[in-house]
Amino acid sequence: MSALVPAVPISRPRPFSFPRPRLVTAEILKLRKRRGLVITTFVLTVGVTAVVYAILALLHTANAAKNGPAGGIANLGSSMLVLTMLAGVCASLVGTAAGAGDLSAGVFKELVVTGRSRRALFAARIPGGLAFLLPFVALAYTVAAVASVVFADSLPAPSVGLLAESGAWVLLVSSFWFAVALGLASLLGSRSTTIGILVAFQLAIGSLLAAITMLGVGRDAIPGTALGRLAPHAVRDRAVEGVSPPMSIAVAVLALTLTIAIVLGLGARRTTTRDA
Amino acid sequence: MDTTHPYVVETENLTKRFGDRVAVDGVDLRIPAGSAFGYLGPNGAGKTTLIRMLLGLTSVSSGAVSILGHSMPSGRAQALARVGAIVEEPRFHHYLTGRENLRIAAAAREPEAHTRIDSALERVGLTKRADERVKAYSLGMRQRLGVARALLGDPELLILDEPMNGLDPAGIEEFRLMMRGLVDEGRTVVLSSHLLDEVEKTCDAIAIVDQGKVVVQGSIDELTGDASSVLVATGDDDRAHALLAGYGAERIDGGGLRVPSEDDSTTASINRRLVEAGLDVHRLEPERISLERRFLEITSRLEAAA
Repeated sequence: MSALVPAVPISRPRPFSFPRPRLVTAEILKLRKRRGLVITTFVLTVGVTAVVYAILALLHTANAAKNGPAGGIANLGSSMLVLTMLAGVCASLVGTAAGAGDLSAGVFKELVVTGRSRRALFAARIPGGLAFLLPFVALAYTVAAVASVVFADSLPAPSVGLLAESGAWVLLVSSFWFAVALGLASLLGSRSTTIGILVAFQLAIGSLLAAITMLGVGRDAIPGTALGRLAPHAVRDRAVEGVSPPMSIAVAVLALTLTIAIVLGLGARRTTTRDA
Repeated sequence: MDTTHPYVVETENLTKRFGDRVAVDGVDLRIPAGSAFGYLGPNGAGKTTLIRMLLGLTSVSSGAVSILGHSMPSGRAQALARVGAIVEEPRFHHYLTGRENLRIAAAAREPEAHTRIDSALERVGLTKRADERVKAYSLGMRQRLGVARALLGDPELLILDEPMNGLDPAGIEEFRLMMRGLVDEGRTVVLSSHLLDEVEKTCDAIAIVDQGKVVVQGSIDELTGDASSVLVATGDDDRAHALLAGYGAERIDGGGLRVPSEDDSTTASINRRLVEAGLDVHRLEPERISLERRFLEITSRLEAAA
C-alpha cells in the first residue's frame, strides 16, 4: 500500500456517448465483459443464422434441381424458428447472468451498502440486459432477412411488411425469455438452476404441455403457445401447425403480459427482501 | 470533512434472532464521530451480524439504529450514501478489472463517485494494477481494492469488517497508517478485527462483544493503561520475594515479581527496601495491561460464568 495521498479527483477526457443511466451502463459493462457469454450469444444467433443460409446457398448452387433457393418466405419462416429457439436460449443465459450474477459473485451486498435502493438495482438489469442481448438478435435477424431476399431467386421474396413483422416477433420472443430468465434468476438466486429450468421448458416441456389437449384453455398460459400465436404467418404455418390450441391475439398478449409481470414482480420482491 | 453528529452510530437495544438463537442481544452502542473505533469479540460473538444490521444487509429483529443522525431503515439511502463498508471478505466480479469493479460500485453512488476512482486506487496503491482482472489479484490486493471501493462515496463513516485479513506485516502497518490518516481527515473508522494488537495500535475506543452482547465499551486508555502493580527484577529474586512478602509480591512466569502498588510512594518504598537490603534492582516498572490481556480476562470470565 502506498503512502497517503490527497484524494484529488483526476478528470479525463471522455469520448462522446449518449447519456445513459449509470446503473444501466454498469449492467451492460458486467455482461459485455463476460467473454464466454458474448461468444456464445454471438455464435448461437449470428453465427448459426449465417451458417444455415450459407449451407442452403451452397446446396442450391451445387444442385439447383434438387435443392431450392436458400431465400424466400418459406426459408425465412424456418430460419425464424431456429433463431427464436436459439435466441430464447441466449436470452436465458443473459437473463440469468443479469439476474443472479451479482448474487453469485457476492457483489450484491457491496451494491446494497451504497444505500441505492434494491428496487433500482433490480430495475437497471432490465434495460441493461436487453441492451446487451437485442443487438445480437437484431444482427442475426438482419442476416436472415437479407439472405431471404438476396437468395430468393425464383421464389417469392418476403415483403417489407413481413420482414418488419418477423423482426419485431424475434425481438419480442427474445425479450420475453430474457424477462422470464431475469425474474426467475432473481427469485431463485441461482444461475445454473434457472438455466436448467428454462432450457428444459423451452426445448421440451412447453411443447409437451401444448400437445396435451386435456389441459384445454390452460394451454393458453404456456408462453411458447402464446408467442406462437403472435408469430408472422410465414412462421406460424411452419411452427405450430397441429400443436397450438386456437387462441385470440388478445389472450396471447394477456398471457405473456401476465407471465412477465408475475415473474418480474416475484424477482423484484425477492431482491428487495433477501439477506444480502 | 464536516461531521455534525456527535455519534455516527447509535443503537438501542438492537437485537437479531435466527429462530431461537439470539445472535445480537440488546446492543446499545455509541460510536463517537472522528475516531477509530474497534469492535472486538471472539468468533461467533455476533460482530458481523451487527455490522450487517447497521448496513441494512439483514433485517433487525428489534431495537433501533441511527447512522449519521438518520434513523434506519427510513433514512437508509441518505445515511449509507456517506458510509463506506467492507463486510466479511470484499467480493468482486473476478472477470472484471479492478477499475471496472470500481466503476460498477460508483454507478450505484452519486455522480461524483466516478471522479474519485483514480484517487481511490492511488490511495491504496493499486494504480499500476488497476487494469488487471481481479482474478489475478492476491487476497491483500482485494482487501485494498475493497478499501478503494469504500472510499468512492467520500465517506464520513467507514465500517471495515476484518480488513487486515490477508495482509502481510508491512501491509498491516501501511493499513494502520491509512486508517489513522482517514481519522485525521475527520472520518470515523469502525474496525472489526480479531487482531487485538492492531486494534490497540489503531483505535481510540473499543467495544468488546461476547455472545451477542457488548460487555465493555470505552476508550483504549480506560481499558488498557497501567495496572495497580509494578514488575520487579533483581539480582536475587528469591530474596526479593521474601523481602517484599509484606507488599503481596508474587512470582511471575519467566522470572521476576509482580508487586501490588497503588501509587508512586509505594513504588518508591519497594525500591528503597530492595536497595537498602543490598539487592541490585534490574527492573522496576509499572505493569501495563494490554488489550489482549483485558480481552482474555473479560471473555474468560464470561466463559467461566456461563
